Amino acid sequence: MTPPRSSTLRLLGIGTHSDPTGYDTDERFGVMSASRRPDEWVRTTCGYCSVGCGMLIGVRDGRAVSVMGDPGHPVNQGRLCPKGLSEHHTIHAEGRLTTPLLRRADGAQHPAGWDEAIGTMVTRFRRVLAHHGPEAVAVLSTGQLVTEEFYALGKLVRLGLGLRHYDGNTTLCMASAVSGYKRSFGSDGPPGCYQDLEDADCVLLVGANIADNHPLLAPRVLANHAATVIVVDPRVTKTAELADQHLAIRPRTDIALLNGIIKILLDEDLVDRDYVAAHTEGFEELVAHVQSYDLARVAAECGVDAEAVHRAALSVGRAERLLAAWTMGVNHSVQGTETVTLLNTLCLVTGNIGRPGAAPLSITGQCNAMGTREAGFTASLPGYRSYEDDDERAELAALWNVPLERIPTQRGRAYPDIVDAVADGTVKALWIIATNPPVSFPHRGRLEWALSKLDLLVVQDGFATPTTALADVVLPAAIWGEKEGTYTNAERRVSRVRKAVDPPHEARADFDIFLAVAEALGVRDELYPGWQGPQDAFTEWARVSAGRLCDYSGMTWERIDMAGGVQWPCPPGTEALAGEPRLYADGRFRTASGKAKIWCVSPQPIADAPNQHYPFLLNTGRTVEHWHTRTKTGRVEILEKLAPEAWVELNPADAERLGVRSGDLVRLVSRRGTVERITVRVTSVVREGEVFVPFHYDEACVNRLTVGEFDPISREPNYKQSAVRVEPRR
Amino acid sequence: MTALPALERPRTGTPELLPLDAGEQYRFGFAMDACIGCHSCEVACAEQNDTPIDVAWRRVGELEGGSFPTTRRFNLSMACNHCLEPTCLSGCPTNAYTKLANGVVRHDEDECIGCQYCIWNCPYEVPVYDERQKIVSKCDMCLPRLEAGQAPACVGACPTHAITVEKVNVAAWREDHAAADAPGLPPGDITLSTTRVQLPGDLPPDTAAASDYRVDPEHPHWPLVILTLLTQLSLGTVAATVAIQLAGSAGGGNLAAGASGGFLAGAIALAASLLHLGRPTHAVKALRNLRTSWLSREVALFSAFAATAFAYAAAWRATTGRGVPTLGAALGVTAVVLGVAGVYASGRLYLVPARPVWNSRRTLVAFFATALSLGPVFTLFCLDRSGLGSGWIAALLAASALGVLCQLGVHVHLVATVRRRTDRQHEGTRTLLLDRFAGLFTARLVFAGVGLALLGAAFAVPLAGPAAAGRIGTGLVALGAGELIGRYLFYVTVVPYGTAGSFFRR
Repeated sequence: MTPPRSSTLRLLGIGTHSDPTGYDTDERFGVMSASRRPDEWVRTTCGYCSVGCGMLIGVRDGRAVSVMGDPGHPVNQGRLCPKGLSEHHTIHAEGRLTTPLLRRADGAQHPAGWDEAIGTMVTRFRRVLAHHGPEAVAVLSTGQLVTEEFYALGKLVRLGLGLRHYDGNTTLCMASAVSGYKRSFGSDGPPGCYQDLEDADCVLLVGANIADNHPLLAPRVLANHAATVIVVDPRVTKTAELADQHLAIRPRTDIALLNGIIKILLDEDLVDRDYVAAHTEGFEELVAHVQSYDLARVAAECGVDAEAVHRAALSVGRAERLLAAWTMGVNHSVQGTETVTLLNTLCLVTGNIGRPGAAPLSITGQCNAMGTREAGFTASLPGYRSYEDDDERAELAALWNVPLERIPTQRGRAYPDIVDAVADGTVKALWIIATNPPVSFPHRGRLEWALSKLDLLVVQDGFATPTTALADVVLPAAIWGEKEGTYTNAERRVSRVRKAVDPPHEARADFDIFLAVAEALGVRDELYPGWQGPQDAFTEWARVSAGRLCDYSGMTWERIDMAGGVQWPCPPGTEALAGEPRLYADGRFRTASGKAKIWCVSPQPIADAPNQHYPFLLNTGRTVEHWHTRTKTGRVEILEKLAPEAWVELNPADAERLGVRSGDLVRLVSRRGTVERITVRVTSVVREGEVFVPFHYDEACVNRLTVGEFDPISREPNYKQSAVRVEPRR
Repeated sequence: MTALPALERPRTGTPELLPLDAGEQYRFGFAMDACIGCHSCEVACAEQNDTPIDVAWRRVGELEGGSFPTTRRFNLSMACNHCLEPTCLSGCPTNAYTKLANGVVRHDEDECIGCQYCIWNCPYEVPVYDERQKIVSKCDMCLPRLEAGQAPACVGACPTHAITVEKVNVAAWREDHAAADAPGLPPGDITLSTTRVQLPGDLPPDTAAASDYRVDPEHPHWPLVILTLLTQLSLGTVAATVAIQLAGSAGGGNLAAGASGGFLAGAIALAASLLHLGRPTHAVKALRNLRTSWLSREVALFSAFAATAFAYAAAWRATTGRGVPTLGAALGVTAVVLGVAGVYASGRLYLVPARPVWNSRRTLVAFFATALSLGPVFTLFCLDRSGLGSGWIAALLAASALGVLCQLGVHVHLVATVRRRTDRQHEGTRTLLLDRFAGLFTARLVFAGVGLALLGAAFAVPLAGPAAAGRIGTGLVALGAGELIGRYLFYVTVVPYGTAGSFFRR
């Protein structure tokens, strides 16, 4: 007999909620809902953004019933954002993939066994490789896997399958930071750490809405009572409200602004000439280059008060310790790499690097974007080794005991170039892992057209997504909370990720999938000699990283546990248990000369500029309640309730002109596509002539509108400036 | 940072819960200048208390002021304010609310009958109706945690320590509670909210809630539409009947039909009112708070009214054809007195500061006007008009017409008021009444006019004849329809104070 519904009991007067057993006491966290009280807490790291908060998953009867911030974790001291606080709900959410699927002759996806699925995938990859060569197969990965999996996947793709074209969705978020660091310092690697947000006496946040996107960094800024906080953002973000000075510059004028600030620093003699002389090259060219950026020009181009620019420049220049941090407002640009070098330059000319509170800090996107940067075999060889450097290739070949010619000499195509190659028929088979390009890649119409031309699409993910719907082979993967490994956060801190519960039904850890594919290819023993689990991958990776800037070789999973996270570089003998908080304290950089390179940068006009037919400039971004394309957060009830649909922010003056009000539905049209229905939010947080749309929503997908234009160096998309028209729906 | 919160907020560690001294209670503190709008408190609250998805005990509102580029945006994270003068408590008919010694306004879910009167009474709209449980629930400041010496879950979850649990000296707060006021909140002195809101500097004067663009109609509460209309009709009918009787009942006809009609309307009204409750089987608990709850008083008075009206009708039935019993007259007069008191209590129920458009003597006048407009004409409809005589028919028609005119006067006053007042609540009602529901509002007035015309048209023919009966009957239907629409609009067009919401949620 089914028990009567609680509402029936309530009607009859039998209480069902205020029952004293509604709450229970947990040894660690005290009184909590009985429904959330676990038998066991499993210590892990959050799987959303790159902040890398420590947390505990509560497990009872094989289910993840709760999550708590880890009070002892150095990053978040027990606090979490709303996504983290509800992260256990993702594990048992609807829409998980629970069995491999194969598209069969009837055109529909049908359940299949693992052996058949992987057998089919390998057979068909081999067939394409045999007929068309390694140019014809590509892999698109992610920043969501654990480092151990990236390392295993990199070896599988490059050495096992012998592919040339391998990239990840990390190119959609922080590739420009990587390229910019490489250009300035000779290597990737964020030089600062979160503590610098508290130690700085000037915090400059450029295109970084941390309050929405990295919420647990905002308290660090708030706690720094002594600092002048400057936010540079075209929109009045939640983060702008934290600022002492907000420079609401016009989109893509950050380069003009930074050049202008540097000129003021030169004019006011606020440049650290000793540091510049000892540790940089290219300063004289910079001095000449910025001369034309006089204050009046900069203020006019940026659309802000000259006085505000001057005041900001003085705050920057007079700071003992300047922390210049940025995120996607800088990276998501055709000039992302150049803008990053300019931020690096700003820190270099003021001597703000390698000291507490002083660094150019890229706050990266995904939970383990850093892990794939270091170990992933995409933008560089593992350990930030260069494809073009024979010595570094030889070192790797020796470490792996493989012939030198097996180590690629070129990076291969980056993400947008893989899409181009799919579009022109060069790439015929594609393996997509834990990313959702139809929603996240710009110019969706063209992407979907390209994907439809593939002979074979393999998609590996935890959830059914618009991407898995297109796949010929679907591999169901374990997600966060169901597998073991490590994430590296934006301050280079390596933290443990633990399995709390088993993956559902047939789903497997990505690590196990990679090993199974290697097995089917007959390369498992060569690639993964004696490996039993991810810890073996970590041990090998740590050894491979030895002597590199991103040196993990002094780390073990045990040390990471003891320290609650270890920051690289951590060679053997590193005294501090938690590793090194900062890079470049000695002023020696990873360039040939050992000096940091100063680059001169000039702004380019916006390609997809507004005109009379598309009068608005569209900016895109995120909101605190959701993550990426909502494949997880869209399935968490409370987050969906907080932000149930996309919206378009419209300045009151524009709204009046268009005759629309908050809550109205409008159509957005760009040169590439249309969002049919989206809700208007009239707000003064955007400038007249500019609109903002969050990118999370497949239902009102802003990437139908965005321009398919990419940074020539990093290949990162220019998500932040596209021209659109707003059409009221009558 | 320039705009520093004045309060010392520990940056790390578990928030401390200080023991209370004499004369103190716990309260929430909220530093608006420290809140980054992350909504962690809301999620932590839902996890801690296992609340259903539509039952949010803590909600974060969004505020915006100024214009680009100096726009300011703030957030307002609010839960229950554990007021010194909690109107949820004073209005609750079952005494489900208690003010504990530690200051927590506790809601006992077992005592709740789901009448939702606390939702109307709370200016902050803190209590929420839980459709699943069929009762109301709200924040208890994590009482089980407080009792264990722990801070509430929202306090522990706030990344910037913007939410705090503090001690407040009750007497001192009574003297000075200015810090309970903030944009997006109703005036703190309605209930003496204890939540201390620390405002940022240079708050733009036009700061308003992101939810303000939404003027959503309130719930129509159909059982209450029926309850109020029929109790008022019932009172009017019984009163008219008693009046005829006391005046010597022109011709001494039998008034049983009038008394019975009046009683039946009242009985249906009370039965319908049960459907309003989440837990109708517990309706009797509604009598527990006669001391302070107008709802308890309404239930008591209407029950007594219905019982007396029943006795009155029964007396008429028992004395068929034998004139006016003295006992009957006494019962009738008693019923009318109880009915008047009942309608008064019923009207007072809506005079809550939390809903300014209701909170006017206009509401009382409207309720009695309904009784006056529907009662006499319904009495005519029930009675044998040939035995009544033209004089009485004319008098009753005139009384109803007077009621209709009063009601129209109420509406003129309402429209004038919502046009004149510029607060969000009155403007909201204006939008709903004169824009969104303009068609219905017009219909309401047209029905009243048509009803009035038909009553007048009855005078053109012999009043006791069949032609007049047709006009009176149709007139009653028109007036009834007008009142029905009017009462529906009364419920749906009220705009509560409430707390600032987000763009997606009021």
